[in-house]
Amino acid sequence: MRVQLKKSDPAGVRRALAAAAAGLLAGGPVRAQSPQSDPPSTTVDSALLVYHEVNRVQAIEPEVNVSHKIDDDRTFSFGLAADSLTGATPFGAVPSTLPQTYVRPYKVIPLGTPVTVTSASGGSTVVLIPPATGAKTRTLGASWVVPPGTYPLEHGFYDRRLAGNLGWEQALTQWLKLDGGVAYSKEHDYRSESAHVGLARDFNGHNTTLSAGVNYESDLSFPIGGTPTPLTEMSAQWKGPNTSLHETDAVLGLTQVMNRRWLSTLSYSFSELHGYQTDPYKVISVVDPVTGQPTQQLYENRPDSRRKQSIFFDNKIHVATDVIAASLRGYEDDWGVKSVTADLRYRWQPDPDYYVEPHLRYYRQGAANFFHNYLVSGAALPEYASADSRLAEFHAQTYGVKVGMPFDETYEVYMRVEYYDQHGNGSPAGAIGQLQQQNLFPDLKAYTLLLGFTYAF
Amino acid sequence: MSLRAHSAAERRDAVTSFTAMASPCSVLVDTEDHDLGLEAGRIVQAEALRIEAKFSRYRPSVVTHLNRHAGQPAEVDSETADLLDYAAACHALSDGLFDITAGALRRVWRFDGSAEVPTEGQVREALDYVGWHRVTWDRPMLTLAAGMEIDLGGIGKEYAVDRGLALAQARMSAPVLVNLGGDLHVSGPRRDGSPWRVAIEDVNCTGEAAGLLELARGALATSGDAHRHVLKAGVRYGHILNPSTGWPIEGAPRSVTVHADTCSEAGLLAKVALLRGAGCEEFLKSERVRAWCVR
Repeated sequence: MRVQLKKSDPAGVRRALAAAAAGLLAGGPVRAQSPQSDPPSTTVDSALLVYHEVNRVQAIEPEVNVSHKIDDDRTFSFGLAADSLTGATPFGAVPSTLPQTYVRPYKVIPLGTPVTVTSASGGSTVVLIPPATGAKTRTLGASWVVPPGTYPLEHGFYDRRLAGNLGWEQALTQWLKLDGGVAYSKEHDYRSESAHVGLARDFNGHNTTLSAGVNYESDLSFPIGGTPTPLTEMSAQWKGPNTSLHETDAVLGLTQVMNRRWLSTLSYSFSELHGYQTDPYKVISVVDPVTGQPTQQLYENRPDSRRKQSIFFDNKIHVATDVIAASLRGYEDDWGVKSVTADLRYRWQPDPDYYVEPHLRYYRQGAANFFHNYLVSGAALPEYASADSRLAEFHAQTYGVKVGMPFDETYEVYMRVEYYDQHGNGSPAGAIGQLQQQNLFPDLKAYTLLLGFTYAF
Repeated sequence: MSLRAHSAAERRDAVTSFTAMASPCSVLVDTEDHDLGLEAGRIVQAEALRIEAKFSRYRPSVVTHLNRHAGQPAEVDSETADLLDYAAACHALSDGLFDITAGALRRVWRFDGSAEVPTEGQVREALDYVGWHRVTWDRPMLTLAAGMEIDLGGIGKEYAVDRGLALAQARMSAPVLVNLGGDLHVSGPRRDGSPWRVAIEDVNCTGEAAGLLELARGALATSGDAHRHVLKAGVRYGHILNPSTGWPIEGAPRSVTVHADTCSEAGLLAKVALLRGAGCEEFLKSERVRAWCVR
């Protein structure tokens, strides 16, 4: 478009602009949508996650999440995930300078079935438990030996999990949004069902969002070998019935657009849990007060109520084409666990065709007040006791990097690699006898590899 | 200064409100037929959202596509070509003050009320990616130099006002007022021949009407934002950047509201006037533009 303009002409700019604007608006009443302008209405994100703990468990998890925007007011989403977990895991027993033999329930068979099994999975040996008089079934146990100076792990750990979720988001007015959803997951010894509902209200020209949500979860635990009686000796006997756990969570959040480059979120969450929260496979060792040698392995016991709260502060800052995401989380519960998480990501996009996102995370937690590395023989048994390293004091760093390659605006492939390094106190003060030579909290190192593919259409 | 159609005085209008382009929007139809009002609202909203999605800088759009392919020629559709023609004309008519490639300067200027002023070196570096003269525009092929980006935000909203009104008018004869975030355009006087009354909100955003404007024909558009600035060593740097120097325009009013035949024209005149800085009022006067400035 050529525009002639004489500078001396009064109102010349205005007239020329009017002509240019008229040209622009002469395009006719119907403007076709160009092909690349269609905002994506369905997004499919599929990923494969491989998790590997050095000398411990390994997991493979494929997952797919689909989100479909029906119109500007409604979005429907669903996700499916499956994982399979194999390997060895600590179960609470302390190491020793002597070989240790452990036993656990393996399976129940009708009386009279010929027993041809010679070994259970993971190199353990099948033991036959003499049936009680009049019993119609017989229990098989699995026993395994841990060599001296080795941190005891339970091998033969194998689990498969299937999980799914459905979600719905609905704008009620231009300022108010409702969302809800349900989720289900099932393992061979655990089932979880949950439902949530939330409301988000925008204020201040959509610059401020206040949100509130509640989630209710109901879980059922049916461990292999049944639910043990707390603080009784580890055995191959078949034990108690299924147990359940109910959890209610509430979250209150405030999101604020601080300026065009900075988005900040502050949220508070509160959870209350009632029911069985003990790990049915975990024990705590009772040791001799002089030698420190384990004399008994007792099933652990945790309180059946737990109240948790956390505060989360998240910031996303745009710097040119890059994005910095920094967050802090503080957590505490009435078991005495307190933790803090600091997380930093920098999404560096030197070129529209790829981005690189380094990731650093630091985590530190204090022990639950009923955590003990072991109990001492002869002393009174506490009401609650657990030697689960997840309830111990430890700190961990995560180092990761994600590389993504968007193609057009419709699909993207990405890969994330992470290394997790956990340290605790392996030589607690006052360790008894032989325990002074042992590492009671071996470092945990884990690698995560995630390959993903996102497609929008 | 921002404008809104005065609702109290026109209680009989059918009003539809929605949000588009991050702004509150409304469509008023002078009619007793409520369905007609809803239809006008739906038409204007759909058009505003279409234009927003097509030219968004943030979501996958024609603009992000072009910016991603800076450095190589890209073909554009006829609507985008018309907007680029218009942008080229505006660039020429404003002596280069209006420039849709000024986006790179936003990487160094933040305008969040903080005391952060970029260094001369940073500004000079950013300027390497600014300037319509670095763009090869040979309809329908656009070639941006590598690292450059275009932003049609400076013309898109007003364009959506004009388009929305035209589409609504094609479907109904009742008088219509389209208001997208304070930029508005009327189809003509009300049924009884009286003008539409438009409230002017106070620049300090108290929400109180500072005055009433009467509008029987044409469009109003406002440029300027009192809240975005950088304060350093007592100097208030406004958010209107001169794309040829990379530094804020000095002496610009806080906002300018212009009346013209179309919203596109009014919006451009307001922006160009603001870019004249201290010479804003003089420019508006010499161009015989009906305008209101807030200093």
